Amino acid sequence: MLDWIGPAMVIAAKDLRLEMRTKSILSSVGLFALLVVVVASFSFPATGAGKNGVAAGLLWMSFLFSSLLGMGRSFSLEDEEACIEGLMASPAPRESIYLGKLLANLLFIGAVEAVVLPAFLILFQLEPGRGIPLLALTAFLGTLGIVALGTLFSAMAVKTRTREAILPLLVMPLCVPIVIAAVKATETALGGAALSASASWLYLLAGFDALLVTVGLAAFPYVLDE
Amino acid sequence: MSSRVDEATAGAGDGRDVGRQTATRWRRRALGFGTLVGLGVLVWAAFAYAPQDIKQGPSQRIFYIHVPSAWIAFLAFAVVFGASIAFLATRNHRWDQVAVSSAEIGTVFTTAVLVTGPLWARPVWGVYWSWDPRLTSVLVLWLIYLSYLALRGYVVEPDRRARFSAVLGIVGFLDVPIVYLSVRWWRALHPNYVVLARGGPQMPGAMLATLMIGIAAFTLLYLYLMALRLRVERLRANDLEERP
Repeated sequence: MLDWIGPAMVIAAKDLRLEMRTKSILSSVGLFALLVVVVASFSFPATGAGKNGVAAGLLWMSFLFSSLLGMGRSFSLEDEEACIEGLMASPAPRESIYLGKLLANLLFIGAVEAVVLPAFLILFQLEPGRGIPLLALTAFLGTLGIVALGTLFSAMAVKTRTREAILPLLVMPLCVPIVIAAVKATETALGGAALSASASWLYLLAGFDALLVTVGLAAFPYVLDE
Repeated sequence: MSSRVDEATAGAGDGRDVGRQTATRWRRRALGFGTLVGLGVLVWAAFAYAPQDIKQGPSQRIFYIHVPSAWIAFLAFAVVFGASIAFLATRNHRWDQVAVSSAEIGTVFTTAVLVTGPLWARPVWGVYWSWDPRLTSVLVLWLIYLSYLALRGYVVEPDRRARFSAVLGIVGFLDVPIVYLSVRWWRALHPNYVVLARGGPQMPGAMLATLMIGIAAFTLLYLYLMALRLRVERLRANDLEERP
């Protein structure tokens, strides 16, 4: 398992270098995430008693949709110039390709979230204070789960007739538990609660993430098996 | 292109093959007959044999269709899961044929669960739908297998289609218990419906017997539909092979 890490780092570094030069994912996905927050804030009344719940749901809709947009790009970039064949011909094991792409996706989407989250807190006049560690950990665990699913299925999606368009259809039903757990924990965090207040949701997220990454590693070689 | 001719001529050169096909056809007909009888007995038992529920009245009788449908849905998706693993392990396309046949049948029965449930819930609970853990899990299950069928529709190349859908068949099935768990925790903050108390009301023997007849008849129906659906898959595969 340790020899998966090295090639995975190389693949993630390749994606980062590409992104540093083009900035295509960060700019388009970042803008999209912000747009979802702004447009959705006109659609839902985020004031009064249930404000934290509405805001938490809205934040995760933005994170989920923008992750789907970003991850769709992940393998279509590889497919365009037949890079994926190059990766498959390289000595890197298939598991490393999965881990590398997962890591790159996590970094891109994490970067987008790091920009959108403060903007969101300001726009919705939220001051979580002591809830910030819980908010950050929830964002990380939730995103990891979405990315673990999305990386597996975006490798499939590019080889279908619809290309990336099918990715949301595949990922959204499967990530229902992530959305439920992340929204609940975020709602608690926005109320200024410490980590322990949502311990069971964090365990659920962490356990589900572990399952998804394991299944992803086991299944990915079968997806890239031409 | 007549499928009956295809099947009859597929192994015409070999007397043993013809004999085996005839045996398969008779087995399929026997299964169909058994299913018909089973469903007939179920209709009689559900309407005439089982006693009327005092509180819920006649609407409770939908239960004899609803619960067997749910049982078949879970059975069908468990078969998809097993066949998907078997396909990835053996690369034998027969397993893919089993998986897609079972997934389609499972989706039909899940739809039946989602239609009969609200029909019963309206008079008894007062609403068609509640975000109860079991209902919500079945809804998510239904969406997962619709996406499974959609994926199959979008991949043209048969080997790739089989691999991709096997991966989704496995991930989807593993997802279901987690969905159930998360929805149960999610709803824990809200009041529960009282009609379906945990442990359930004690069921009279005739009701339980009717339910068992329903489960047996629906299992026969599942096996019969699988036999028909698999035959379509096999004929389609033969047809592709024979074309130049």
